[in-house]
Amino acid sequence: MADLAIDPRIELNPTLVQGGMTYADVSEKISAITENKPPKQWYYLITISSLMTVMLFGCLGYLVVTGIGVWGNNNPVGWGWDITNFVWWIGIGHAGTLISAVLFLFRQKWRTSINRAAEAMTLFAVACAAIYPLFHTGRPWRAIYWLFPAPNEYLHLWQNFRSPLEWDVFAVSTYGTVSLLFWFTGLIPDLATLRDRATNRVRKVVFGILSLGWRGSASQWRHYELAYLILAGISTPLVLSVHSIVSFDFATSVIPGWHTTIFPPYFVAGAIFSGFAMVVTLMTVARWVYNLQNLITIKHLENMCKVMLATGMIVGFAYGTEFFIAWYSGNAYERFAFLNRAFGPYWWAYWTMLTCNVVSPQLFWFKKFRTTPALMFIIAIFINIGMWFERFVIIATSLHRDFLPASWGYFKPTWVDIGTFAGTIGMFLTLFLLFLRFLPAIAMSEVKGVLHQQIEEGKGNH
Amino acid sequence: MAHTHSQETDAYFVPLRTWAAVRNAILFVAVLGWIGALAGYATDPEHFFWSYLVAFLFSISIAIGAAFFVMVQHLTGSAWSVTVRRLMEALMRTLPAFLVLFAPLPLGLHYLYEWSRAGAAKDPLLKLKIGYLNEQWFTIRGFLVIGLLSLWALVLYAKSRKQDDSGAVRLTLSAERWSAPGVLMLFVGSSIVGFDWIMSLNPRWYSTMFGVIFLAGGAMAFMAVIIVLCLWLRSNGYLVHSVNTEHYHDLGKWLFMLMVFWAYVSFSQYMLIWYANMPEETIWFKNRFTGSWLYVALLLVAGHFIVPLFAMLPRAVKRSRGALAFFAGWLLLMHYTDLYWQVMPVFYKSGFGMSWLSPVCLVATVSTMGLVFWSSFREKPLVPVGDPRLKQCLAFHNA
Repeated sequence: MADLAIDPRIELNPTLVQGGMTYADVSEKISAITENKPPKQWYYLITISSLMTVMLFGCLGYLVVTGIGVWGNNNPVGWGWDITNFVWWIGIGHAGTLISAVLFLFRQKWRTSINRAAEAMTLFAVACAAIYPLFHTGRPWRAIYWLFPAPNEYLHLWQNFRSPLEWDVFAVSTYGTVSLLFWFTGLIPDLATLRDRATNRVRKVVFGILSLGWRGSASQWRHYELAYLILAGISTPLVLSVHSIVSFDFATSVIPGWHTTIFPPYFVAGAIFSGFAMVVTLMTVARWVYNLQNLITIKHLENMCKVMLATGMIVGFAYGTEFFIAWYSGNAYERFAFLNRAFGPYWWAYWTMLTCNVVSPQLFWFKKFRTTPALMFIIAIFINIGMWFERFVIIATSLHRDFLPASWGYFKPTWVDIGTFAGTIGMFLTLFLLFLRFLPAIAMSEVKGVLHQQIEEGKGNH
Repeated sequence: MAHTHSQETDAYFVPLRTWAAVRNAILFVAVLGWIGALAGYATDPEHFFWSYLVAFLFSISIAIGAAFFVMVQHLTGSAWSVTVRRLMEALMRTLPAFLVLFAPLPLGLHYLYEWSRAGAAKDPLLKLKIGYLNEQWFTIRGFLVIGLLSLWALVLYAKSRKQDDSGAVRLTLSAERWSAPGVLMLFVGSSIVGFDWIMSLNPRWYSTMFGVIFLAGGAMAFMAVIIVLCLWLRSNGYLVHSVNTEHYHDLGKWLFMLMVFWAYVSFSQYMLIWYANMPEETIWFKNRFTGSWLYVALLLVAGHFIVPLFAMLPRAVKRSRGALAFFAGWLLLMHYTDLYWQVMPVFYKSGFGMSWLSPVCLVATVSTMGLVFWSSFREKPLVPVGDPRLKQCLAFHNA
């Protein structure tokens, strides 16, 4: 294969495992994170994030005993931060499946070092997202009857299957289930590695059970790879369907600013945009704390920056199209809704959104910004903020100007809104830190597959 | 990966005599097509312009799809597609011809577009849009978008051709740099022309998704054309080894994927309008479900999505050249049907209708495109022989 080696500048197969790491180094480096005591930064972070999680439970408890009036939701703004946060979290959950499934089908080898953590993020983000609609019902213990078609004599309820909110329940729970299966399937060979390396009984038993009797035989690998491919095929349409259905929550209505046909693909692009921003936010930090520079290389980060640039442009394109068609429609309500977005009482939210989502990713045109972790971390934070504001702008600005001026209003968050939102960030970070501590954060077996190819091509690391 | 020797066994050049024979055949068809089209224009300009619009849209959507795909290949640094990329580039290179093919449209605006007729300025809704929907701007926008697309097409084609001789890696990198803003321009441009050329036929109606649907349909049709072209060349003994089953498998996956994407965006548009049920929006579909148009709509649902969805899903279908040829041809027909169904109900209001000029105009525009396409291969290789990723492409295998 050495004759395929050509000018390194076009990177036919970029060196994705650097620093001359061997197979053993890969296992050692990644397993050691779960086997040794974590660095002190980990303790600082989890202390803060657990306290925030406690605050989340406090806020939710207060909401349950008092009622959802403790949120700032009002009439006409019946959906406030709750649905904003729901959509934001679901969006963040999109990078995992995109990296694992879509990039797998596109044979993008650079996915291998980041897919595991991104999938874990997906699961945690979906968990955070689920809190909001569940607690918006006010009585979450009854939500099973409202959300799922569970037979009951208790409330004599039957779900409204014509409602996109109901479709959402199925879309998100399907997505969560498939993502979990996909994540776990990918983990099996790595869990077996941890089992085989275990030096104490507890680890041996726990990882022994979790690795489902994996022996690494050729037939097991064959089945495993087929299962992985099929799961990737099943997950790929889910990347599109979940956020399309989330967008239906808005777009099936007749509210100016919500009812627009470009919503489904625009929401999907936005979801991928925000998902990658969150992956970059967390992975640049994890890479630095755990010294993973040889596995999560600048090439990985640069590719993620390019994805953010591309999806950011699609989002910007959708903003532009919406604005143009609002004018083109000649419809006074459409025109008002969009002018009001930009220059009405929520102008500050709109321009924050535009600056963070459309202006800041333009910096990724410059290689310097795509290859400097500190800079991309900052831009990724901006994108996280921008994508939150996007949902807030869509929800609040379209609702606060009702059709009758007498019903106009304004949404102000309460301390419970803020506490709940900050709390879910804490819960997300806590879960992610626990994941880093106890499970292999990088897919060892897949990285070794990439390394194998690299060695065959003569970029060997023996 | 034992296939690296295969490149020696393929001829990358079409002998001049064969080339000239094919050129003459296309030229003959083109002359016939244009004679017919001109006769139609002279005798029945109204039918001519409606037929010509659909034929023009069908052809240019394929060329735009080609430009889109070539740029995406550069941006992703794809190796699998190198041996088919020159065919894609040659299709993309037909874009400048559309500066000429577009020229008749501004002459027939009054036949096609309600907003260009006398009453529009007095219509309370249309007068709000007159700043955008007017003859001058429509013409300028059309030439501007095609002109910009042509510029990118010519630059990228020139770089690729230059690399045939020099093999310079720098040209690959420079094509990549051109492609990033190029894709952006293409998205905005094709969206604008989608609004202008098709959506404004119903000037009161609007849908933000419209430009995306136009691009999606064109990209799918382009992929179908590439498959048909590869198979045609193969049946004549060209690209037998360099475009092998692995490449056809990938082309088939792309065709499938773009077909599904078209269905996704088209369904989203329909679903949201149906669900909200506002008369000013549903009218677009209502007109297209009138009389026998309903059957055309149902044909699109079945033939442009449901049947190929299940039929093309098995791996064996995408790896079978016969089956792939059938579905590529079928989906091209469906793409034409899709555009016809979007455009023609404005003219044939009560139900499906077709003039003899529809096939004639289609022959005229497609054969013109074919002439430009084929001119790329006069003593020039069918494959970008200087591409640094060529060897990798020849050795490529589906996992």
